[in-house]
Amino acid sequence: MENNKKEESLLNKKISRKDFFKSAAVAGASALVASEVFAKSRFLPEIEIPIGESTIKEIAEFKSVKVESNSDILIRMQAELKKALAKPMEQRKWKMIIDTRKCVGCHACTVSCIAENKLPKGVIYRPVTTVEMGTYPDLKMRFLPQPCMQCETPSCVPVCPVNATGIRPDGIVHIDYEVCIGCGNCVEACPYEHRSMDTGENYCDETPSVQPYELLPTMEYGKDWTREGKYSATEGSARKCSFCLHRLDVGQLPQCVTTCIGRATYFGDINDPTSFISEMATKPNQMKLLEEKGTNPTVTYII
Amino acid sequence: MKNSEKINIKRRNFLGKGALLGGISMVGMFLGGTASAKAQTALLKKKRGTKPYELNNPENIIYSSCLNCNTGCGIKVKIEDGVLSKIDGNPYNPFTMVPHIDYKNSIEDAAKIDGGLCPKGQAGVQIAYDPYRIRQVLKRDGKRGENKWKSVPFNQAITEITEGGNLFAHVPGEENRYVEGLRSIMAMKDNDLATAMSADVDGIYNEKDKTKKKELVEAFKTKYAADLDKLIDPNHPDLGPKNNQFVISWGRLKGGRKDFFQRLGDAYGTTNLHGHTTVCQGSLYFTCKAISEQYIGAKFTEGQKFYWQADIENAKYILFVGANLLEANYGPTNRSVRLMNNLESGKTKIGVVDPRFSKLASKAATWLPIKPGEDSALALAIMQWMIENNRYDSKFLKCANKAAAKESGELSWTNASLLVEITEKGPGKLVRATSLGIKDAEKRIVDDPKDKNKEISYTEDFFVAMVNGKPTWVDPNDEDEAVFGDLFVDTTIKDKDGKDVRVKSGMQLLKESANEQTFADWCTLAGVPQDAVVEVATELTSYGKNAAVDLHRGPAQHTNGFYNVLNWMAVNMLLGNFDWAGGMSAGATYKYDGGNDGVFDAKKQSGKLKTFGISSIRHDKDYDKTTIFEGYPAKRNWYPLASDTYQEIIPSIGDAYPYPVKALFMYMGAPTYALPAGHTNIDILADVNKLPLFFTSDILVGTSSMYSDYIFPDLSYLERWEFQGSHPNNIYKVENVRQPAISPIPEIVKVYGEEMPISLESLFMGINEKLGLKAFGKDALGSGLHINKPEDFYLRAVANIATSENGGVPMASRAEQEIFSKARRHLNKSVFDEERWKSIVGKENWAQVVYVLNRGGRYQEHSKALNGKQLSNKYGKLLNLYQEKTASKKHAGTGKNYYGYPKYVPVAQFDGKPVDKLADGYEFTLITCRTVTQTKSRTNGAYWLTAIEPENGIVISNQDAVRLGLQTGDMVKVVSSTNKEGVYDLKHGNKKEMIGKVIATEGIRPGVISFTLGFGNWASGTADMLINGEVVAGDERRGKGIMANAAMWIDPSIGSNNTCLIDDVGGSVSFYDTKVNLVKV
Repeated sequence: MENNKKEESLLNKKISRKDFFKSAAVAGASALVASEVFAKSRFLPEIEIPIGESTIKEIAEFKSVKVESNSDILIRMQAELKKALAKPMEQRKWKMIIDTRKCVGCHACTVSCIAENKLPKGVIYRPVTTVEMGTYPDLKMRFLPQPCMQCETPSCVPVCPVNATGIRPDGIVHIDYEVCIGCGNCVEACPYEHRSMDTGENYCDETPSVQPYELLPTMEYGKDWTREGKYSATEGSARKCSFCLHRLDVGQLPQCVTTCIGRATYFGDINDPTSFISEMATKPNQMKLLEEKGTNPTVTYII
Repeated sequence: MKNSEKINIKRRNFLGKGALLGGISMVGMFLGGTASAKAQTALLKKKRGTKPYELNNPENIIYSSCLNCNTGCGIKVKIEDGVLSKIDGNPYNPFTMVPHIDYKNSIEDAAKIDGGLCPKGQAGVQIAYDPYRIRQVLKRDGKRGENKWKSVPFNQAITEITEGGNLFAHVPGEENRYVEGLRSIMAMKDNDLATAMSADVDGIYNEKDKTKKKELVEAFKTKYAADLDKLIDPNHPDLGPKNNQFVISWGRLKGGRKDFFQRLGDAYGTTNLHGHTTVCQGSLYFTCKAISEQYIGAKFTEGQKFYWQADIENAKYILFVGANLLEANYGPTNRSVRLMNNLESGKTKIGVVDPRFSKLASKAATWLPIKPGEDSALALAIMQWMIENNRYDSKFLKCANKAAAKESGELSWTNASLLVEITEKGPGKLVRATSLGIKDAEKRIVDDPKDKNKEISYTEDFFVAMVNGKPTWVDPNDEDEAVFGDLFVDTTIKDKDGKDVRVKSGMQLLKESANEQTFADWCTLAGVPQDAVVEVATELTSYGKNAAVDLHRGPAQHTNGFYNVLNWMAVNMLLGNFDWAGGMSAGATYKYDGGNDGVFDAKKQSGKLKTFGISSIRHDKDYDKTTIFEGYPAKRNWYPLASDTYQEIIPSIGDAYPYPVKALFMYMGAPTYALPAGHTNIDILADVNKLPLFFTSDILVGTSSMYSDYIFPDLSYLERWEFQGSHPNNIYKVENVRQPAISPIPEIVKVYGEEMPISLESLFMGINEKLGLKAFGKDALGSGLHINKPEDFYLRAVANIATSENGGVPMASRAEQEIFSKARRHLNKSVFDEERWKSIVGKENWAQVVYVLNRGGRYQEHSKALNGKQLSNKYGKLLNLYQEKTASKKHAGTGKNYYGYPKYVPVAQFDGKPVDKLADGYEFTLITCRTVTQTKSRTNGAYWLTAIEPENGIVISNQDAVRLGLQTGDMVKVVSSTNKEGVYDLKHGNKKEMIGKVIATEGIRPGVISFTLGFGNWASGTADMLINGEVVAGDERRGKGIMANAAMWIDPSIGSNNTCLIDDVGGSVSFYDTKVNLVKV
């Protein structure tokens, strides 16, 4: 209901992505030029994100699983989501801390994220880089998973000519795929290179047949972004990590957190001082990536 | 512009490709065309909307077991509109959570909790939905390996294989070749005759006198004159019946499917059922088998083919040797989580022995970049230090029998203090008390461990330990009278006739081995700094029994693998850590075969045909006792202590030693790709004269199945049944159940009048039906217990898991049973028919069966794994530090007896000669490793994985690279003295050079180069194929990078130059001994 209303209002105020492509094709104009025109005129309003009572999510208690002192941290973190979601959105602030001491560089998060978000070929939300330091035999190796940093002052948001992206009150930098025109400004602007363009490719395009898993919808932002024919509803949009918002909404942790075989990713509501994430935030040796860029990332690292 | 242009180009490509592939028949061949059409249409009709997220609904979840590596983690398979959407860890399963959630927790809760899972597990979606999967039986439509195929009906293929004929008359050169079918190869059909012959063959085998042996053979020929045509060679009846000329082999095989193999083999009467163990870490298995031999009925028997691993959850210090657990070895998901938690909390420290600076090494307090093949030197250095500094568990080692172990609070015990007789040949038999006259022999009766309904009568002579300098008789199994033996004994005692007997204790022999060189010299040999070794030894001995050495392929896959493993396991014995929390764990499973108190006897089989004769890989037999003994060296090795020697299966067929093979079946195998010098196997497989009939079961046209005559499509692990079992590093009792989570991809056929997908099971059942055997079908499991569908077996086995041990699991509530049905609503009726399922297991067992299937297996509670400071799931038996049985066996290459105790043994050829000649002129030791994104040969089609790591390379130290003028990105060819061209000859003019990208790094020992396995594939969707006259283009993403196994040495002293170097004792192939050069290209 909420979403329908939003969709309607947006339709009245802007050219939809498809119309944009159509007109661009007719006029022979390039997406880049057109986007610059939009950026200059800048008449579009901010996307309204609902706040308040309507954003409270009631998550059922576990029927029988108990949260105990020796529980896997996945259980504790998941149980704490319930408490966070019981508050209006503006009162919770999602935070992720990646403990590089525990990361084993396995890429489970990378792949799990692709699978969960049905990412097309060429789009990866959470790459993991490996850094080797030192001289034989005195060596060090560190692994750095890199999701969207969910910056408090992001470089990607202001450059959007159609206001398709913004910061939600809970800290998540989001994209509205229906609004996004695919100009790529945000992809260029992100200093972490954590946005990429969805060109609608499938992993099995050049094989005997595209496979059924590739035709499943992505559920990001609580919508099912289906395929139209071979093409995805997200095709032509910028894509990025959303902290698995669609999972958070049902009381589940982001996929990269749950699948981590080193339990190196911590997640939760930093506004809750009793949460595990708040406890982890007090640990020494915290680091932010590219702090000098002034983006104030929400995602931080323990090194 | 950039973006829209890209899209347009892509559209054009798609249309072009559509035209190229064209034909309906092609599309039908593969998955996309038919199996998913329904799902596709369903999706297309739908509009974008706000569909609720339903992957956390138990009605959309089936729990099963992964198989993208052999860890087999419990998985949660999430289904969306009938399509496999997502795979996560099963939270009930101890592999994916620490602690795992309680087994009794509701399935609604579990549906919401995702456990951890490694990237290969995540990518299982792409193994099931692989566009190159085959759906119909493919018959060769060209020469072997030409990759020309036609699809044939399942029943036709079964008939051709069983009945034989001019099957390939359409292939040039084979117009007149008659292929003998399985019916004709099965010459022996009479069980009584086979049983009688088998007993007489045993008599021949056990006769030591050569002349008498010959006489027995002649007598045999006279006695069975009318039936000699049933034997492979009447002059050598110990080769067994012609039935043995059908060899059945496998790659990855787990419980349940294993039973299908055993049943078919037992019905057909072939002794040749062979697995792949030795290409993995065979010598680790077979050394531990030798360590675990039990003294029963006056002989050493019942050694378990298994190994111990460290209890990572509770250990305070672990030395990992050649173990890469953050990427492989029964590890990524289940061991990483435990280790990383404990490293972070400071509970655990680790050391790593590996020539590579592995991910694991990056987490270690100490890294020892050992010289490959010198594990024994390092282990002996550590043991020398432990003995010298008195830092070993003497209390444990002194326990000479079970009673002593009990008194000391130990669960297991060693024979370290037992006396060994030293002759001019070296240490041999354990001294018997009766020979010293200190104890009279006793007539005893024990239960036959091989058959619980039988007993063994024997004479017990007793062993001897020195107790405070006095020879004292010992029964190692005695539970009442404790004997604590002196550890270091080196003396001469008198036997009952007053003759001198030179004796030493096992512990003394170990000490002497450790002192063969100085500490400094051992360290030099191993190529590691002395202070680092002292540091490791100090740490290892600073936490009592909470420390362990955990080893894997690294030490095992050398020609000296058996002794490398034995030396390291001896370190664990000195630590006294077996069965202790944080020490060596043996693992445990719930039994599916009904063994103890199950409701079905899954082993029961009517119509078995007694098998006998020497196996085609010559295992479990002493060469010198056979009638084909021709002195030393033997033509090829014999394996009295090992089995499943993968490197022997095909090369032995090539050499027709010990006999020619007429038909080979291979399941889930890739020996041409996975074996060192695996290219030699291609020559044999491609030769229809050496191997007349070759058929395989595979989900793709693979690197080895591409040489077969028929490929039967199989189910992926996400569509089938199996019992994955557990692993020793898991201290909880576990049984992981693999069950159909999605509808079958292969075609549906009829066997025994029932619909089922083409699979390994339907293939075996089809052969069985056609030949009129009784392994499957009516009354196969006993009267009224038929196996007319695969699940007739598997469900009864699940019932055993569900109902055994203390009444079994709880019963699923009615609500849970409803969820069970709904979660399977997408399954094809050929694989899920609830009413039929209920009737198979019986209504009384149904609710418990559902409970197990709703949780993907059965798992012990977290809190029950420990009993105080000890492991609940114990080994609890004798450990052979000294191995009388090993010492009694002869090396078939040299005729010398094996060493029965920890000792330094250098790398060597089969004939005992050093490898210097092979190495001459080549400078780098070639080793391999695994990356977490690939299993050896079956994950190359997972595009999510290849997107992250598209290829491997040749990893070389910076200093070596600089010296050779190489830098990262340069292309080099790998060559050795036995593959100077650096090439795989795939036949028919198709050659694959071993060329890869240089990756220069600080992270490897200079002088060593490495590559990760799993890349450089030449089939499995990589190569173009012609199917039914149409081209199926291969996908280059699936074959990037380098596979350099063909550079590994061929042992010139084995057979006809067709086999890699081997560990003649433990059976392993040599993966890490070859010297190679790199040639810039």
